[in-house]
This record gives sequence, C-alpha cells and structure tokens, in this order.
Amino acid sequence: MNAAAGVRTREMSYAEAIRDAMDIALTEDERVVLMGEDIGVYGGAFQVTGDLVERHGPDRVIDTPISELGGAGVAVGAAMTGLRPILEFQFSDFATLAMEQIVNQAAKVRYMLGGAVSVPVVMRFPAGSGTGAAAQHSQSLEAWLGHVPGLKVVQPTTPEDAKGMLLAALDDPDPVMIFEHKLLYKLKGQVPEGRYTTPLDKAVVRRAGDAVTVVASGIMVHKALEAAGQLAEDGIEAEVIDLRSVRPIDRETILESVRKTGRLLCVYEAVKTLGIGAEISAMVAESDAFDFLDAPIVRLGGAECPIPYNPDLEKAAVPQIADILDAARALATGRR
Amino acid sequence: MPKVDMDMAEGTIAKWHVSEGEKVARGDPLFDIETDKAAMEVEAPGEGTLHHVLAGEGDTVAIGSAVAFLYSEGEEVGDPPAGAKPAMGSEEPTGRRGETRSDTQPVQEEPAAPPDEKRKIEAGPRATPLARRLAREADLRLSDIPGTGPRGRIQGEDVREAVRATDMRASPDPEPKGRAGAQTGPPLVLIHGFLSDAQSWGPLEKAFGSGRPIHKLELPGHGRATRKPPADFSALVSHMRRGLDELNLEAMHLVGHSLGGAVALALADTRPRRVASLTLIAPAGLGPQIDGAALDGMLRATRAESLAPWLKRLVADPDRISWNYVQAVLAGRSDEDLRDAQRRMAETLFADGTQCFDLQAALGRVEMPTRIIWGRRDGIIPWSHALSAPGRVSLNLFDDLGHMPQIEAPEAVADLLAASVGLAP
Repeated sequence: MNAAAGVRTREMSYAEAIRDAMDIALTEDERVVLMGEDIGVYGGAFQVTGDLVERHGPDRVIDTPISELGGAGVAVGAAMTGLRPILEFQFSDFATLAMEQIVNQAAKVRYMLGGAVSVPVVMRFPAGSGTGAAAQHSQSLEAWLGHVPGLKVVQPTTPEDAKGMLLAALDDPDPVMIFEHKLLYKLKGQVPEGRYTTPLDKAVVRRAGDAVTVVASGIMVHKALEAAGQLAEDGIEAEVIDLRSVRPIDRETILESVRKTGRLLCVYEAVKTLGIGAEISAMVAESDAFDFLDAPIVRLGGAECPIPYNPDLEKAAVPQIADILDAARALATGRR
Repeated sequence: MPKVDMDMAEGTIAKWHVSEGEKVARGDPLFDIETDKAAMEVEAPGEGTLHHVLAGEGDTVAIGSAVAFLYSEGEEVGDPPAGAKPAMGSEEPTGRRGETRSDTQPVQEEPAAPPDEKRKIEAGPRATPLARRLAREADLRLSDIPGTGPRGRIQGEDVREAVRATDMRASPDPEPKGRAGAQTGPPLVLIHGFLSDAQSWGPLEKAFGSGRPIHKLELPGHGRATRKPPADFSALVSHMRRGLDELNLEAMHLVGHSLGGAVALALADTRPRRVASLTLIAPAGLGPQIDGAALDGMLRATRAESLAPWLKRLVADPDRISWNYVQAVLAGRSDEDLRDAQRRMAETLFADGTQCFDLQAALGRVEMPTRIIWGRRDGIIPWSHALSAPGRVSLNLFDDLGHMPQIEAPEAVADLLAASVGLAP
C-alpha cells in the first residue's frame, strides 16, 4: 500500500526506512531476529542496523561469525523451526558463499517436504557499483537468484518501498531476497509512519508517457527518471517503469505500457548478457504486445567485465544517464 | 485449400512440410496456412506420395482449389490433371516470401533473377510488427508504403500516413460490393460477444458493404484488447465507454452481439444523444439464463475434440462448424493471458451459469430506434428473453438461426441493419 492521503509521513533515508521496518518488526513480533556480520555494536557494514542492538538486545540482533554459509544455514534452520530471521550480508557478492543454503535449501525445502515446512527467511543484500569497492564488492547478482523458483527477489528503489517491501517480506511464508543498492542508502524520501506493506510482485509506473517504455531496475530507475525529465524538455514523454520485483516479474504492467508506446528500453546495472533485460525482451516478444512494437527492443546493461576499481572505468562499466538519454531518444524518434 | 475460418475465402500457404515425391501417412502435417487469426497446420487426408505441388509457399489460393495431389501406392503418376491450376486469390501475397508462382509446372526453378533483386524479393519489405499489424488492419500492402525508418524500415507512423493518404483520396470503390453509399451518415460501431473478437464481424461487414464507415470495439481480454479483465459488468461498461469516447463520434449506429449487445445497450443508455440507432443481436442482459456448460466447455477446452461440441452449439446448423475451423479457433485461443482474462470475466459476469447483470430497465429507458435480432434455435441464450422488450423495440426472430445470426445469415442481418441506418436496400 502506498502512502495514502491522511497517512502521516516522515522524511527519512533509505537506510533509516529499512531500520524503521526492522524496529517495527522486532517490537511487534517476538519471532523476528536480525542476523549478520557486525550488525550489533558496529551497526552494520553500511550502518543500516544502527542502534537496534541497544533497543532490542544481543539476543534479537545477533552478530554472526565471518561465515556466510554458516550464517545462512542458521537463518534457514531458524526459519524452518519458527523464527522470522532477517539475515544481512555485508555485500551481495558474498551470496556466492551461501549459495548452497539459498538455492538448495531455502528455495527447495517446501517442495522437498511436500509443503509441510516453509522457510520464511528474509535476506538483505547491499548490492551494486559506484562506491569504489571494486570487482568483488560491486556486483549486481539479483538475476542469479531470480533464476531460482522458490525464491522471491525484489529491488526496492525508494525509502517508502524499502520499508514496505521488508515488512511484506516478513509476512511472506517463503524466502525473500532483497537487493538494496548501496548508493541508495542515503537517498531521502517521505515514508509513512507505522506498519504498512508494499506488494512483492508489482512493478510501478514512476513516470507516465507515450513515446517509449523504459523498464528499469534498482538504481537505474533514478537514472531513467533523470533522463526522462531531460527528454520531456524536448517534448518526448518517456514512461518509466520501476520493475521492483525480479521474481516474479509483473508482466501485465510492462505489456500494457508497451502496447501503448510500441517501444521498449530495458535498463539494468547487472551484466547485460543473460540478464533481466533479456527476460523482459523475450516476454514482450512472446506476448500479444509484439504486434505493437514499432522498433527493435533495446537493452542497456553492465559491460561484460568485472567492475573496475578506477572510478572513471567503474562509471563506464554501467549505464549512465547520458546512455539512457541517447537510447531512449533514438527509440522515441524512430531512429532505432 | 480447406476452409479453416468461417469468413475465409482464400488462404496463403506459409510452408510446405513435405516435398514432391515424398511419402506421407494419414495425419502427417502437409502444409501450413496463414489466416488473419492464426497459422494452421493442414494434415494429410490419407496415405500416399505427394506430386504436382501447384501452390508454393507464399501463394494465396481460393478455398476448395487443389494445391497438390496425393497418389496412392501403385497409382501411375501422370501429368497434372487438367484444370488443376489453383484459383489464385485476388490479393498479392504479403507473406515473408512475397513471391507468386504462377506456372503450374511442379518443381521448377524460378526464372533466374539478378542476385540482388532476388534477395530483395525474398526478404520482403522491412517493417516493424506494429506497421505490419496496421497495414493488415487497413488492408494495405506493405510493398506500397514507403518506409522512413532506419534502412528504409516501415514504421507504424508510415502506415498511418498511408492510411490518411488513402482516406484523403476517397476514390469511390470501383467494384462496389453490397450497398454502396456516400459514407456521409454516422458510422457503425460494432461490439463483438464473449469469447469472440472484432474479426468475427467479417461476414456482416462484407454483406453490409461500404455504405457507412465501420468501427469495431473489442472487449477487454479479447482480440487485441488489453488482457486486464474488468472487475465486474460496470467496470466492463466503463472501459468500453472510454473506448467509445476515444472514437470521438458525434453520432453513431451502435451494434452489439451477445455480451457485446449488453454492453451496447448500457452504452446507449448513458450516451443516448450520440446513438442514432441500436441493434442488438442475441443480446445478453435481458434475463438470467445462459448455457453455463457451453461457456465453461469453451473456456476449458484444450483439444479440438473437446472444443468442437460446444462450438456446434453456437449455430443452428452444426455442419457449418468444420474440423479445420475448430482447430483454427483453438489456435486462436493459445494465448494464455487471453484465456486467463476470459476465465476471470466468466467467473464474474456469468457466475454459476447465470447472467449476473440485468439491463431490462435500460431497454425500457432507451428511446432511439432499437432492434433486436435473434435466432429461435439459439442454444446459448434463450431467444424468449427478447419478449420482455417494450413495444417500440422491433423484434426480428429467425426460425432457422442460432446464437450467431450475423455469421449464419449475414445478408439478412445486413438488410435489417441497412434499414436501421436508413440506407436503401
């Protein structure tokens, strides 16, 4: 549910909104526990958990040893046996260390045991490039996990959604993977007070337009909105869709938009090949919206290389506002 | 060339699965035909060896024409039988191949064309999916439309421009079919029924002729409309009202069939000043009864065998429903989103086999000239619902028609429509 009229809101950052959601959950539901490396006294690698250990104690905000596989195993086991753990990874790149627990256990146990047990675990992954943290701390691996049935994978892009989707994830009986772009942690926005939830399976149109559909995910939503604002000065109205959920993908919102605009641009930070953009492009090409396409579909994604340490190269490795602007303009004006 | 679609006069061969001299068993795929609705596989009617392929890929052939011959074992293969040349369709093929084989010699090389030119012919015009669809809908040939996109690609706007140019020319149809007219009166707006689409109006349009411009609205979840099902009947009507308002017509003659009839009546009720006349064909909304089993059967059908009995219920003469037609309908229902939207519409509009909306009050209110056309052998909605109509509504009840008068007897329905519209027959 979005902030409805009459609901009191407060300005907070994306990180504060996540902390607010965790604070509400810890207060309301004694089954909720936070787990992760340095999330206690240190407050988390990106200071997201902050002072929660002081408010809820070390039994509810648990520092785990430096073993992602161990932490994930404990979180999955705790979820199977009645708790509602939120496991924070320091960097989403370290999901690779915990793949066995995420892919083979969390995603599969409900199926393997005929529905007798579910795994209501929530995992939070600080993701993406732009912080100068180089190849092993800057990846965007959401499509990896999005490929696994049994998981839900979301990428909130605003403080309001970050809070609402985390609370929705805790309500969900199955494992939910939340990818939080590190550069968004300081983004400020109005956030409704108290408990509310945001659907985990709905994309949202952030800006309406009729010239071209831009489906963006994660931080690319903000870059796409910036580009759309510049395009509007030339009289080109781009429609910007915030994908929000990688699994499941909200087909209808995207198809509806493509039927209107006839042009599709997919923008995502993860490596372009075999990524979210390929999935969305194929989905549109396979649907009745195909007959509405008036130009080839265009994908903008990350370069086919590890994220470089050099700041200029790091920028060059992922789509920037100028790239989106050029691609969207070429599409909208019939030059693609 | 089999008839796989009720309003099909010719078919285009998209692909041969078997080549000259090859053996086939009964039921083997022989060739694919392309219709407006779907690509259809045609199966071998019996065992034999294929000879004298008269219609090649991309050729358009009239229904009932021979496209090739099957010889059974031991039978001597002679010259192509006399008069076997297939009747070519009137339209140039616009298929991918875009070449017409006009000779009847089996397996003959194409006359050698300069390589460049040949490649150009085989590739066909470069056009976007939107442009192809718009051209198909406007009955324009892509090869006649200049493309302004990259590498000469024809884009949607190019076709719209061509449509505008055609409209401007306003040249009278050299061969007026049916009722010719000055096209000056209000246009017709047609709304199809549940599980149908805009193309189902083909036979009626043909019979009606060019006397008035015709607009066709599609229900959500049908044809090329949105796949978002309306929450209930009033949401359906609001959606259709927006579609109607977008046409920006000051006056129109409104025609609706079945569920589309109910929608048309509701629209006429709320836009009374713009509706010059209202024609309802086997309309829903005038009583609670409907054959829920038939709706359910059609919605659920995953095989031609389970679809056929229900399709036969739609018409008074079940022989009108050919096996190929059943397969074409099934192919047209392959879109999962379409089926899902229609299922959800049935759940709300026809819950428990009941028409969950009542427009009898609306029928009492509308004041424009109104006509109800119905077949007394309708197996889906009881024709007797028409009897609740007030006295000023004209009733035209046909003894030998079912739920689809506009398809079963397009000429008769067109005559009535012409009378409503005020055109001389």
